[in-house]
Amino acid sequence: MRARTVLREQARRAGAESAVMNTPPPARTWDEADGTHIDVRGLPAPQPMVQILTLVQRLPRSAVVIVHHERDPVWLYPELAQAGWQAEAVPGDEGEVRLRLTASDDAP
Amino acid sequence: MSPTPRDDAAPAAGDAAAPRARPPAGTARPAARPKLGGTFLSGAKSRLLPASVPFRFFGAAIAFHVLAWAALLGGAAGWPDWRHGPGWPLAALHLATLGTLLCSAIGASLQLLPVATRQPVRSHRLAGALWWVYVPGVALLALGMGLVEPRWMAAGAAVVIAALAAWAVLLGLNLAGARGMPGIVLHGWGALAALFAVGVSAAALVSTWVGLPWIDHEAARGLHLAATAFGTMGLLAFGLAYILVPMFALAGVPDERQQLASGAAAIAAVACAGFAAFVPEDSIAPMALRLAALAAGAGALALHLRLMLRALASGMRKDLGRAQRLMQIGWGGLALALAIALAIVLGAPADRFGRLFGVAVIGAWLLSFLFGILQRILPFLASMHAAQGQKRPPTPSALTLERPLAWHFHAHLGALALLAVAALADSAWLAAAAGAVGLAGALAFGWFFVVLMQRLRQSQKGAART
Repeated sequence: MRARTVLREQARRAGAESAVMNTPPPARTWDEADGTHIDVRGLPAPQPMVQILTLVQRLPRSAVVIVHHERDPVWLYPELAQAGWQAEAVPGDEGEVRLRLTASDDAP
Repeated sequence: MSPTPRDDAAPAAGDAAAPRARPPAGTARPAARPKLGGTFLSGAKSRLLPASVPFRFFGAAIAFHVLAWAALLGGAAGWPDWRHGPGWPLAALHLATLGTLLCSAIGASLQLLPVATRQPVRSHRLAGALWWVYVPGVALLALGMGLVEPRWMAAGAAVVIAALAAWAVLLGLNLAGARGMPGIVLHGWGALAALFAVGVSAAALVSTWVGLPWIDHEAARGLHLAATAFGTMGLLAFGLAYILVPMFALAGVPDERQQLASGAAAIAAVACAGFAAFVPEDSIAPMALRLAALAAGAGALALHLRLMLRALASGMRKDLGRAQRLMQIGWGGLALALAIALAIVLGAPADRFGRLFGVAVIGAWLLSFLFGILQRILPFLASMHAAQGQKRPPTPSALTLERPLAWHFHAHLGALALLAVAALADSAWLAAAAGAVGLAGALAFGWFFVVLMQRLRQSQKGAART
């Protein structure tokens, strides 16, 4: 629920942007027992990174985020580290990169 | 709001195929083979060069930046009498353009474009070998210019042109395979076309210096100026900004149609300026072409600025700090350069204002913009490479030594101000002062880079141990 609220807020902000930016619709999110899922497949760069960071920065640090991606998000890791989060791979569908994000223990 | 091009999302060669259907909430997924986390996955390795390749180019660019200011300092006595011919001022100019600007552009394009366009790097070996040809070639060319040795210049120019031709092939293959990003691709093709003109005009200029002229020297110089500063480097600066600025600011993608419009206007401006160099000066045509070039260039800049400022304003990260100040100074430098060019076209003294124009284009616009980008992208790339094998890589800020960047910022601005006054006053000692201050700033930036590399190496060693 929290994730959906976060992404709805983002969509409202995007709608307010002028016509000088291409703002795609927010990524699909849903909650499961293992955490909040976000599917960023099909979004143009750097939207996957932006939407993942938007989500993790607004969730409590105890949250777990599961990312569904179509490729290894190499540009995400430095930003994630800067935000105090870390990534590890978990099994995913064929052709999918699935990451489990958690807050770093040593982050502020 | 314009629609987002969805073909950009399609996986490319080197990437794993992406399943398009998204499962509904709560749907169980079949388990598949586990993948490495926090490391380069799913074809990303093929889109990334080993860290040593891009960082060698960036390191060379930073070293050439030091040498450029040193050459200006050493050759300052010749500054008032310099009229575009061989000598240390020309060497300083080429150490800044070929050495610093283009070397950085090669490193950035080799590293970033395959990731952005989701393609494999065509040839790791060629990308690595390019450095060993290009960097010594630039050094030889600059030394030949400084010492006024036409044969060294010719040899250096031949090596540099050959290396740039190889880079052009790599860049062209990447652009040809790019899906989506039409604005960035247009800028890339424009830069490549301009690079061809750079090679031809450079060969013509060097031929004149070795006594074998085959194009009018002044025409070749006019084409060389337009194609180098505004064509190759300017279009690459505009195009790469559409990738980098949204990435830094964590913003949306600037509107593709306006990217295309800005790119088309910029290419038209370069074409008009290039043609103007070959039209006889006794007609009205050259002035009309130059005015058209300036109008198109101003239009391109206005559109580009609109997109960039919007990206910066709408991003999650509102302030990029010193890097943003430098980028803004860069854009201001381009506007100033266009205003100076207009004054020259309308009859202002070409000698004095021409030198001021050069300071505005190379120093204020391109170098300021480049160093704004470099101080953000270098720690970011280092962190990205350090992520290999680590669950949590070092943060870009942990890899960054801030103090030398602050010193570089102030020294860079001071050196540009001194150089601008030196250009207007025809003053050798002011040019020397600019060289000394610029050299101090360049050394400070070099210190930042050395510490960054040390920290990257420590991080990689730590990862290898664990």
